[in-house]
Amino acid sequence: MRFLLLNHLENAHQSLKSNKMRSALTMLGVTIGVASITAILALSAGASKVVGDQIDALGGNIAVIRPGAPTVEPLTDIVHVNPHREFSVSTLTESDVALALATPHVAAAAPLMILNGTIKANSTAPFDSSIVATTPDLALISDLPLRAGDFLSATSPANAVVIGTQLSVNIFGTEESIGRMLSIRGMPFRVVGILKNTNNPINYNAVDFDNTAIVSLTNGKLLNQGIVQIQQINVRSDSVANLPGAIASIGTSLVTAHADERDFTVLTGDQISQPTSRLFYAIAGVTAAVAGISLLVGGIGIMNIMLVSVAERTREIGIRKALGANNADVTTQFLIESLAMGIGGGIAGYAIGYLIAFIISTFLTFDPVLNWQIAVVALALSAIMGTVFGLYPAIRASHKDPIESLRQFN
Amino acid sequence: MGCRMGVLVSIIGQMQTPQTPPVIELIDLKKRFGIGDAEHFALDGVNLVIQKGEFIAIMGPSGCGKTTLLNVIGLLDNSTDGDYSLDGYPVAALGPRRQARIRSRQIGFIFQSFNLIARLNVIENVALPLTYKGTPRLKRLKLASSMLRNFHLSEREYYMPYQLSGGQTQRVAIARALVNNPSIILADEPTGNLDSRSSHVIMEELSDLHKRGNTIIMVTHNPNLTSYASRVITMLDGRVATDTHVPITKPKLELLPHEEATAIPVYSRPVKTAKKTSGRKTRLTKKALRIARKSQA
Repeated sequence: MRFLLLNHLENAHQSLKSNKMRSALTMLGVTIGVASITAILALSAGASKVVGDQIDALGGNIAVIRPGAPTVEPLTDIVHVNPHREFSVSTLTESDVALALATPHVAAAAPLMILNGTIKANSTAPFDSSIVATTPDLALISDLPLRAGDFLSATSPANAVVIGTQLSVNIFGTEESIGRMLSIRGMPFRVVGILKNTNNPINYNAVDFDNTAIVSLTNGKLLNQGIVQIQQINVRSDSVANLPGAIASIGTSLVTAHADERDFTVLTGDQISQPTSRLFYAIAGVTAAVAGISLLVGGIGIMNIMLVSVAERTREIGIRKALGANNADVTTQFLIESLAMGIGGGIAGYAIGYLIAFIISTFLTFDPVLNWQIAVVALALSAIMGTVFGLYPAIRASHKDPIESLRQFN
Repeated sequence: MGCRMGVLVSIIGQMQTPQTPPVIELIDLKKRFGIGDAEHFALDGVNLVIQKGEFIAIMGPSGCGKTTLLNVIGLLDNSTDGDYSLDGYPVAALGPRRQARIRSRQIGFIFQSFNLIARLNVIENVALPLTYKGTPRLKRLKLASSMLRNFHLSEREYYMPYQLSGGQTQRVAIARALVNNPSIILADEPTGNLDSRSSHVIMEELSDLHKRGNTIIMVTHNPNLTSYASRVITMLDGRVATDTHVPITKPKLELLPHEEATAIPVYSRPVKTAKKTSGRKTRLTKKALRIARKSQA
């Protein structure tokens, strides 16, 4: 009986070929659905991979301390946003940075204090520019190459500022702005360094360094009425092997300093990128579900055409039954036909989806991801569409009475 | 020697109980259509014993139940009442799957309207019954090809059904019915759509099959064709009215030259294939084209 499968495949091929236009249009429905799902998944996987790649690129010896107790149920962060926690006062302090630095095997530790305020020079910086106050250690942890000048250091003048290329263009109208003056919240600063364009708006620091003014922590304090607010502490250990030990020691010393309260979270490796990737996957999930509707419509198209095909070929069904086909043979014949349409549309959709994703990605800062999971999802979805929507017409075909079928003229 | 076997068997069947069970045995077979007031017995107690090697022609007016009888024998339809044994085995009560298996292995159908699948070419049509037996593709095509050679249709293997004449189409259909080596061949007005010339060609083919020992049951309207049969059954109102054994000597009904010229189709229905070909663009496969060119040269 195994030869029958091959025969059914030939048969399906033949019958689809004899109705090329119709088969192509039916497949197009599935193709569009699968293409949109593939494009969405590929792009969202690309977006969530960005942060992970950055961490990997930094060498795997980076840890990030963030305020707030570790969440037990990670997904609740997305589903149940807790506004009180979002806007609560940061639990990280300047002394925590010092504690982290004092821990053995810690090579560098830098706080990130993100401020609100206007940056002004020839013109005012756009709304999305940010102000970050940090220590010179940041350059040792995050990869911040300079196109001109120097990063903040112990010897920098008190009013030194390092700015991103885009910010320089935005406020000075030029990329060459070393030595020029700008004002942040009315306080004058002199540009000592300009960062290279990284085009990495999505990163684990949650800061777009192309569009940022970096000042010293002391100045940050002055800009914030003398109060330090630290959103994140970046830590780098002297080697990958020493990172877990260093994290553990930082953890214990911080808990002691915070009155035995674990009101902070230490993240390493994938954990750092998790909140970002989870968010992207949540967005992708919702959009993919919407795209799934078009796939569903495609599936209904398959069913519709299969019903037409069964009606058209009633006589053929009668002949086949008279020649010895049983119900299962007839069911399989039509099922394979609809499955072929589903999978054919799916493969085309997968290819077109990636084409779309790559075209879209030329306007974005990240590339779509090619992985087997998306291929499996695309193929499985199209196969399921073909089967589910082909089953009813196939069963209907097999239940046709041979005598009635033979009597029908076409 | 072989050509007399069928006659011998049928004669023996009349005189004494044969050693082998009859191919078909129908006892008080009934088939009802409709219920209540509309109740109607298409078969109303048919008793029939058919021995191996018989060539039976079933005659009768329209609506007498000929086709229904053929459908029941061919297991396309189930009887309402009565017993039906095929090769000594009661089959009416079998499930649809087993019945399909019997149709596949023991029964060959020939239809009035040929019933070739239009999408498939000649050789694929002939090979079709073998697929349901699970024969591999290559073997299927080989068997179909040798079967077509028997019917002198080797050159038409890759033609599409609409490219054939009515007589050729029916010969393809007969080849298809025989490809599985069925024990019985059921023909429902095999010449109903053909002119008298093609009809006689087809009848010659059937008569040849009969001589080779096949059991044939044929439904027909045309009394001329009964001369090919070894036994003629007439039906009336769902019952067997007469049952005549004809000793077939040499039932040749050759057309005389003047008859050939004025030969009027038995049924004025136009041959379907001829009409189709004219409107459609000819799709000859490469092989068919090659053959056509060769025959021209």
